Order: sequence, then structure tokens, then C-alpha cells
Amino acid sequence: MLITAAPWTRLRTCIFAIFVVLLLLAGCGREQAGEKTATGTAAGNGELLYTVADATGDWGLPAPYTHYARGPGYIRMSLVFDTLVWKDSQGYIPALANSWEYNKNENSYTFELNNNVTWHDGEKFTAKDVVFTIDYTRAHPYQWVDTGIVKKVEAQGDYTVKMYLDKPYAPFLEYVGGTLPILPEHIYKDVKSPEQFQTKEACTGTGPFMLEDYNKAQGTYLFKRYDNYYQGKPRVAEIKFVKIGNEAVAAALRQKQVNAAGVPPELSGTLEKEGFKILPGSHDWVAKLAINHQKEPLSNKEFRQALAYAIDRQALVDTCLRGYGMPASPGLIPPDNRWYNNKLNDAYPYDPARAEEIIKKLGYEKKGDYFEKNGQPLQLELLFGAGNGGNVGDREGELIKSQLERVGIKINLQGIEAKTLDSRVKDWKFDLALSGHGGLGGDPAQMSKFIAGQDFNSARYLKNQTMLEELKKQISLTDPVKRKECLDKVQELYAEEIPALPLYYNTYYWAHDGQVNLYYTVRGVGLGVPIPLNKMSFVK
Amino acid sequence: MHINILKEVKSDYMGRTGLTILLSLLALALLAPLLTHYRPEDYTGLIFQPPSARHWLGTNDVGQDVWTQLLYGARNSLLTGGGAAVLAVLFSLLTGGSAALLGGMYDRVLMRLVDAMLVIPPVIVVILTAAYLKPNLLLLIVIISVFLWPAGARMVRAQTLALKESMHVMAARSFGGGRTYVLKRHLAPEMGPVLTAIIIQFARRSVFMEAGVSFLGISDPSLVSWGKMMQDALQFTYLDVWKWWLLPPGFALSLTIIGFTFTGTALETVMNPRLRKEVHHAGD
Repeated sequence: MLITAAPWTRLRTCIFAIFVVLLLLAGCGREQAGEKTATGTAAGNGELLYTVADATGDWGLPAPYTHYARGPGYIRMSLVFDTLVWKDSQGYIPALANSWEYNKNENSYTFELNNNVTWHDGEKFTAKDVVFTIDYTRAHPYQWVDTGIVKKVEAQGDYTVKMYLDKPYAPFLEYVGGTLPILPEHIYKDVKSPEQFQTKEACTGTGPFMLEDYNKAQGTYLFKRYDNYYQGKPRVAEIKFVKIGNEAVAAALRQKQVNAAGVPPELSGTLEKEGFKILPGSHDWVAKLAINHQKEPLSNKEFRQALAYAIDRQALVDTCLRGYGMPASPGLIPPDNRWYNNKLNDAYPYDPARAEEIIKKLGYEKKGDYFEKNGQPLQLELLFGAGNGGNVGDREGELIKSQLERVGIKINLQGIEAKTLDSRVKDWKFDLALSGHGGLGGDPAQMSKFIAGQDFNSARYLKNQTMLEELKKQISLTDPVKRKECLDKVQELYAEEIPALPLYYNTYYWAHDGQVNLYYTVRGVGLGVPIPLNKMSFVK
Repeated sequence: MHINILKEVKSDYMGRTGLTILLSLLALALLAPLLTHYRPEDYTGLIFQPPSARHWLGTNDVGQDVWTQLLYGARNSLLTGGGAAVLAVLFSLLTGGSAALLGGMYDRVLMRLVDAMLVIPPVIVVILTAAYLKPNLLLLIVIISVFLWPAGARMVRAQTLALKESMHVMAARSFGGGRTYVLKRHLAPEMGPVLTAIIIQFARRSVFMEAGVSFLGISDPSLVSWGKMMQDALQFTYLDVWKWWLLPPGFALSLTIIGFTFTGTALETVMNPRLRKEVHHAGD
């Protein structure tokens, strides 16, 4: 025993060393393991099975009250539930409603409904379901649509519905018509808290697909077509959503495990050469520098303008996005959006000298590398969400820190867990924070939400009365030209006030094998989801 | 137990290898500014460059030189490793030593506290702390050492108890040696080898913990760290860049840990009579 002890120790050490190396390698490969759920693309009988990859996986049970309030959650739900009207790549198309009409004098919408629609359980769909949906969503608000603007709703016969509005509401057709899922009265009438209604029965809709299987832990969904769909039997027999991380998605496409997926921009060129169809998205997601405009010196408009001059937005795109994006307009709305104000084309070019000048005018004095006022150094804290591979993170933080420090503003960079960051921004416990949100491609009614709304994604800026009035006015303007004038003004005021500084818009890429003609929906699916998975591409 | 540790470790093959690895890493870390033209935070403007004469290990996703980051990362790894280890040993010595010497109620309460500390999962506490305090190098060192000391305290206590009862200490005491005298002449010098072994073990663990914490993205973002490099590189495994961006910090980290392990094992062999191949007697 004594003789063998030393070699044994040595062996043990070697084993430990090998174990450490293996552990590291295992860590590298961990994300790929267990994610490869091989799927065939065609069933034995020649029917088309379509598989879509998603990096996150779980987006909630695909029913109106249980899907997560993010684009991918809505997309899954939209396969099961139809709306009154829908959109394709060009504009509105009929869905549950065959036709619709706006009566300006009455300020009402009349929808003529399809009379051959059945719910997935075989029950007949009638105008009563629509009336029920409006009433029900008034008592239990649906997360994306406010039906409070409907003053009165009435069924005229079995297949006509009329809705009277309180006041003119420009995004009515987009929101209540094209986003609100219609609920089955016979199932939901006795449901007291729809958020807790988590059974398969909650997913009884009129849409082209039925939920066959949903696995929350694995983040997978399986939808089967509804043969009696009123717009014809869907072309695709099954749609499957599987969880595959960014790093493995290209391999999964090549091995025909999936038919479509969002892909990292670097791979879009290679995949296109290999024969995949690439869909570059519009610029609907904005990265923002949230500013605590309730606190000195950030409460000063001129100081915020100095920040806008000091940050090189083009460099952020070139360095942090590796060129796959677009520098943001200081007016928030992206230049490729139809509501964009051209006057903002050259607003706030990168000009650190000008930024320094503004800060000096505000009474600061440069001592050494940094500005000072009354012996206090000009110092700000910059927070970013760490660790979850989010869109704006440490890379942007480091670059902005170096740019602001060049001007003379000392930055304390701090990465905190994403949810903690959101709650600190909500409680105004920050100076500067990196965040972002989508939805810019949808109806501009959302501008109010981004500027004056109450959640952490909003700038919550109520100091400029004119801007608030214009924001309110544009929602009631149904004439696009007048609405555009109004929005132009909002963008100019936003750029002047800088309640938050828009940094850049990401360019997202989707790749697919062409078996189904995927396209981007005009103004996004529903109220603006910029994902090229419109259910109608799987139907016809 | 009066042994010349350094000589013994050097005579051991494994010890020599371990020490060489550690000393080379230390040299690379200290000489970092001489071995590269860049600073770790410099943006070169060239993104995802493969290795070349200008960039030995290429550049990363924002155009920073990977070789430079690797060198400066070694500084932080070794600093955290060494700092946390020394601090934790001081804690251990204070608590374990006093528990053994004073005994009684104090000993029992303290040791139960140590037992309780041993079951707290470090990573969760580090994540929570980082959420409320601003993470920086000093805080990281303190937190890591807080989690390391309980194990050391037990070893120190055991060793002190054994020494206290050993024959030569008994002899010294029976000849009228006071507490302070025994502590100074006998206990302190003989604790040396044990403490060195604990330090090495702690250093190994804290280097790994530091890498783990920065891998999770909860350390000071302005610190270059191997863990953070690996985390950043992992997001781009679909490109070829992992070969020169992900592997080097992984190997460097493994090498450091292997260096500590080898040295530690050699030390253990020296100090544990049952593991020794041959005994060097005075005058051999």
C-alpha cells in the first residue's frame, strides 16, 4: 500500500488535469447538446411538414391570454386564432370578416363575417363570438389591444357586426381588426381568470392550425392543420417549432433539420450561396440609451444633446454590429419607415468638440481628462444587461464609455442581470442605461407608448406639452397626410428633447429553404411583429 | 516536519513542472506591456481577423487583439487567485488557529458556523452580491475568499490541535515555555508547510471561480478576463473564430489550474509521510 501510494497520487492528478480540460471543452459544447431534435421535412405520404428553429424556445401556451407579450409568442398564437382582418405583404386581406366598412358620420365599423367558419371543436362561429370577444376583453384586457375605445358593439343577424367608437381612432383596423384574436364564446364565457386557463381547450380557435403539442421545458410546439379551415385546407400539414441556438442554426438548416430560422447576419451571405433564400428584415428594433432625465445634469436638455453629439452611432454599428445595422435617427422612427421625417437626416452628427463646447457652456471646467463643476467631477453610471446574450450589452457599453470619456465625462460601466436592470430603470435608479425594444414597424400609435408610456421601455417624458398633444392628436387622425405632418413634428421635438437617445437599428436575417414562400408582412404581423412567419404563407 | 519545502518540491518532477508553468504565466502577465503593442481595450478597427504577424491570435468581434487580451487576462486571473488565496488563508489561520487554542464554547460555535458556510452555494451568492454592489476586482477577491476560508479553517484547526498535543510541544511546555513562546517557536514555523499547501489549493479554486463568475458576465465589465473572453467567443462558435479566440483562454485557464494542481500535489507528497518515495535525512 505504501509503495503504490505515490504513483496513485500522480495518476489521480493526471486524471484531474484531463478532467479539467474535458470540463472546459464540455462547457463549450454544452449549448449544442440536447438541442438537436432531428425532424423530417416531408412525411411519408408526401405531405409537407415545416420546422422552424427558435433560439429562445418557450413563448408560452399559444392562447390569447397565455402567450408571452413578445412577437414570437404572438406568431404562435396567430396560427391557432384568427382575427377579423389580416395582412399580407401588400395590405389588408379578409379573414373572419369578408368585408368591412367605415361609416364616418356614425364613427362606426361594420364587418360582414364569413358564414362557413367553424371552431376547432366543430362549433359554428357567429357574430355572437365577436361581440363576446369585445365585451370579454374589456373586462379582461388582452395584452396587446385596448378594446376600451369601442363604445358599443352589436350583432346584426348571425354574420354582421357593428362597432361604434368613442372618437376617431386611426389604428382601429390594425389593432381591433387585425390584432385582436377572436375568442370562442362557448369556451371562454365561464372562464374567470383567462391567464390561469392553461389547458389545451384554451387553444380552441378558428385559425388554420390546431395545437397538437406544446412542451414548455423543451420549448417546442407542434401544430397540425385544421382540415375544415374556412379559407381552404392548409397546404402545410404540420408546423413545428424547435429550440436551436444561434451557433447551431446554420448546421441545422444544412442538415435539413429545419426549414426556416433567424440566422446570424455573418452567415447570411454563405447560406445564400448554398441556395437558401435570405430575408433581411426592416429596421423595427431600436437600441436606445435610456437617460434619467429627472436627475441633474441629465435633466438639462442641452446636456442630453451634448451626449448625442458625443456618441458615434455609426461606429457602434460598425464595431458592435459588425456593420449589420443602421445608425438610429434621433427622432426614433427609422429612415426606411414610411412615417420617417427626412429633416432629421443629418441630425446630431458625431462631433465630440461640439459636445465639449456645450458642456463648457453649462458651467463645467475641464481639469485633466474630465470635466468638473464646483470641485465635483462629471461622473455618470452606465448600466447594461449582462449575461443573457441580449441585444445591447457590454460591447456597446465599453464603446460608449470610451467615446464619452474622450469628451470628458467619466463613466462607471456596470453590467447587471437583465431583469434587475429593467426594474432599476423603472424606479429611476440609474443615470444612463442601455436597452431597446421592437415595434417600430407597427402603427405609429405606439409612439405614445415609447415616449409617454409607463413601462421601463418608455422614455416616460412628460415635460414637452406640445409633443404630448401632437402624440395624442395623431392617433385620431385617419387622413395619412395629416397624420404624417403630426408625426414629423413629434420626431423633431423628440430629437430636440432627447428623452432617450436612439442608437441603432439591428438588421435581422431569416433564411429558409424555399418550400414555403415566406415573406415579411406589411407593417409587421398583427400590430407590428417583424418576423416573416405569416400564417397565410402556410395556407395557400 | 522541519522540511525545506522549496527544495523538496523542486526535486519532484511534478512539482518542477507545476512551478515552471506558474512562473512562466507570472512572467507573461508581468511583461504583458512588452509583449504586445496594443492595450486590451483598443479597437483596431479590424474585426474577426485571423492570426497574422500583427495580431498573433487574430482579433475578436469588436476588433480587439486577442493575444493582448490573453496576456492582460493572465494578470487578473493570477491577481484574483493570489489575492483571494492569501486573504482566505489569513481568515483560516485566525479562525482555525484561535478555535484550536481557545477551545470550549468558542470552538464549538465557530466550527458549526464553518459547517454552515460550507453548504452555501458560492455562485448564487456571488450573483446576488453582484446585482446589488458594483462588482470590481477587490470585491471579487473578498467574496471568493469568504467562500474559501471555512475549508481552510478546519485544516488549520486540526493541524494546530495535533501540534498542541505533540511531544516536543509538550516538552517545551513542561520546561516552562509560555503560550506565546510555544506559539512563536513551535506552532507558527510548523504551520508553514500546511499553510503553503492551503494557499496553493485556494489559489487554484479562486482562479477557477473568477473565470466562472466572469463567464457568467457578473464581474467588472472593464476587467479583461479569460472567463469573459470565453463567454464572448462562445456567441460566435458558428464562425471559425473560436479556434484562435475560444481555445487560447481555455488552454491558458487549464494550464494555470494544472500548474497549481501539480505544485499542490508535489507539496502534499512532501508533507504527507505516507506519500513520500524516499526520505531525505539530514546529512544524506
